[in-house]
Amino acid sequence: MSLDRIFSTLAGYMDQYAVLPILYHFHWMEWDELSFDWCLICIYGLFAVIVTYAVCLPMERWRPVEHWPDQKAVLTDVFYTLLNRVGVIPVITFLLFYQAQTWFTGWVVDMGFIPPTLDSLIPGLFGHPIITFWIYALILDCADYWRHRLSHSFRAWYALHALHHAQRQMSFWSDDRNHIFDDFITFVWFFVIGLLIGIPPLQFPLLMLGLRFIESFSHANIRMSFGPLEPILVSPRFHRLHHALRAAGRNSCNYAGVFSIWDVIFRTADFADAYLPTGDAKSPEALATGTYLEQQLCGAKMFFQSLAKSWHALGSRRPT
Amino acid sequence: MITRRTALALPFGLLAPAAYGDTPPPICVVMNSGEASVSVIDMNTRQVIATEPTYREPSHWALTPDRKTLYVCDAGGNAFFSFDPVTAAPLGHCTIADPYQLAYSPDGKYLVVNALRLNHVDVYDAASLTLVKRFKAGEMPSHLDFSPDGRWCFSSQQKTNALFSFDVQTLEPRWTVPIGSTPAGVLWLNGKIIVCIMGENGIIEVDPVDGRITRRTETGPGAHNVFYDEDNKILYISNRGPGDTSLAALDPETLEIKRVYKIPGGPDDIEIAPDGKIWIARRFAEAVSILDPVSGEFDTIPVGRSPHGIYLSTCLARKGKLTAEII
Repeated sequence: MSLDRIFSTLAGYMDQYAVLPILYHFHWMEWDELSFDWCLICIYGLFAVIVTYAVCLPMERWRPVEHWPDQKAVLTDVFYTLLNRVGVIPVITFLLFYQAQTWFTGWVVDMGFIPPTLDSLIPGLFGHPIITFWIYALILDCADYWRHRLSHSFRAWYALHALHHAQRQMSFWSDDRNHIFDDFITFVWFFVIGLLIGIPPLQFPLLMLGLRFIESFSHANIRMSFGPLEPILVSPRFHRLHHALRAAGRNSCNYAGVFSIWDVIFRTADFADAYLPTGDAKSPEALATGTYLEQQLCGAKMFFQSLAKSWHALGSRRPT
Repeated sequence: MITRRTALALPFGLLAPAAYGDTPPPICVVMNSGEASVSVIDMNTRQVIATEPTYREPSHWALTPDRKTLYVCDAGGNAFFSFDPVTAAPLGHCTIADPYQLAYSPDGKYLVVNALRLNHVDVYDAASLTLVKRFKAGEMPSHLDFSPDGRWCFSSQQKTNALFSFDVQTLEPRWTVPIGSTPAGVLWLNGKIIVCIMGENGIIEVDPVDGRITRRTETGPGAHNVFYDEDNKILYISNRGPGDTSLAALDPETLEIKRVYKIPGGPDDIEIAPDGKIWIARRFAEAVSILDPVSGEFDTIPVGRSPHGIYLSTCLARKGKLTAEII
């Protein structure tokens, strides 16, 4: 039995005996078409966490960049990872925005525009799902590069993103530590792109997990580069330069998530052979070592203060 | 004993595989909703002989009135995919907004499409596929059927717990009535409408004139879709959860349960082959199962993720209008 089929079987059991009873109890059966997919996301997410842990932990022990006296700060990152990877955040996000998405797409369709998919826009792609998948992966990674770069360019946005950078004990668990407002912006960002080119086909969940693995791996506390592949794939060394103390804030480098070619093309790549300390010296301590809730509250406070500052600055520039 | 279904199938060579020559074997087409593909199964060898791509999320099917094209809905891909109904050879695709489930009006004039995600019931001119009318009657329109005279159309509104009816001649709404928690499958039967009510673990019978509920029967948890075996006069209901899933066989007159087949893995759509075996798409099992309704045993063929709609080319031997629900 293939890995795919094992996961589907597990997701089926989870759906039938754990999720559907809840949906039926609360009369939410209209989601029953989708609950199997949610279970698949959870199962694949759990698998990804296990594989990432199994691969990264021995490597972090083998060639660590830093040794930490204790790893309390990492525990919060573990919580972020579980929230994001086993499907809780994606499912809540989906539920919150399904109506908005339905309304907006319905409005667009009423205007006579039927949202395309990449393989309907480029007829030659149809029937070549692997090629389609990789083109989607490149486009979405490029979009993510620009989302990430812009998040460093706007004061208020960076106030949210600072939570991701505040971690001084950066490890493979750190990939998912994001402010929930930042996750929201990411959702809207990819929602708009989804309207333009559709969502990627879902035939290759393991490939998707492979790409997510690269993102987790790039945060790992490992002394490792990818040698000649550095200009193509984001390595732990490459991404560590992005998280370095000197690169926090507006003048950063190495924004790419999976494919470092975007940094090469858009001239933000730094291939220095250095493994620098990470963190954001300007961010409050709560962002680095606080609990999940403390980090979220602190991030929200910074965001609104920053928004207010920008608003006042804008007001003072207005002609009287 | 040779049944009417078997007798009709004989000219198609369906019972004598060795004698096919160049005649294509009877095929089963399964819509893999979670994998953007349809699996094509040789019904004789029970092997998957082809996997044809779609854009995103194939769900249900309909035959064009001339029986020359099999349309497969792809809601996520906003497209219809066309196949040769005998060989499943791909014939192309066209853009349609969010097609989830569909059916032709009995006169073949209109094609009605439930756009589940977008909350539309769309009426298309069957020949040109141009939009004639868009109803926004509720949320999550799920399944639909017509009265045999073609006067009325009925569409279940899954999220608003209602049944919506419109007049096919005037294209004006007739009524929308609350019918229970999460309605799904809809079927015209003996002058009434049968609707599966997932949240109430059974089916209801609705008066097509005024939408009044006239009868109820419990069939099992998550009663989802309804099919009628015309030859053997059996009403089948797929119950897909929570907990153990099953296929219930009912007397169409009394609505009494005659037998319940335990089918794990979320049975969804079904079809009946000329030999009387029931082909079942099992959503969570990623498989099609072939149930012997006499012994209750079934064989299983692995297909793609989340198999949903199922079509057997052997249905072409039947006379009259062919739909996915009259089997």
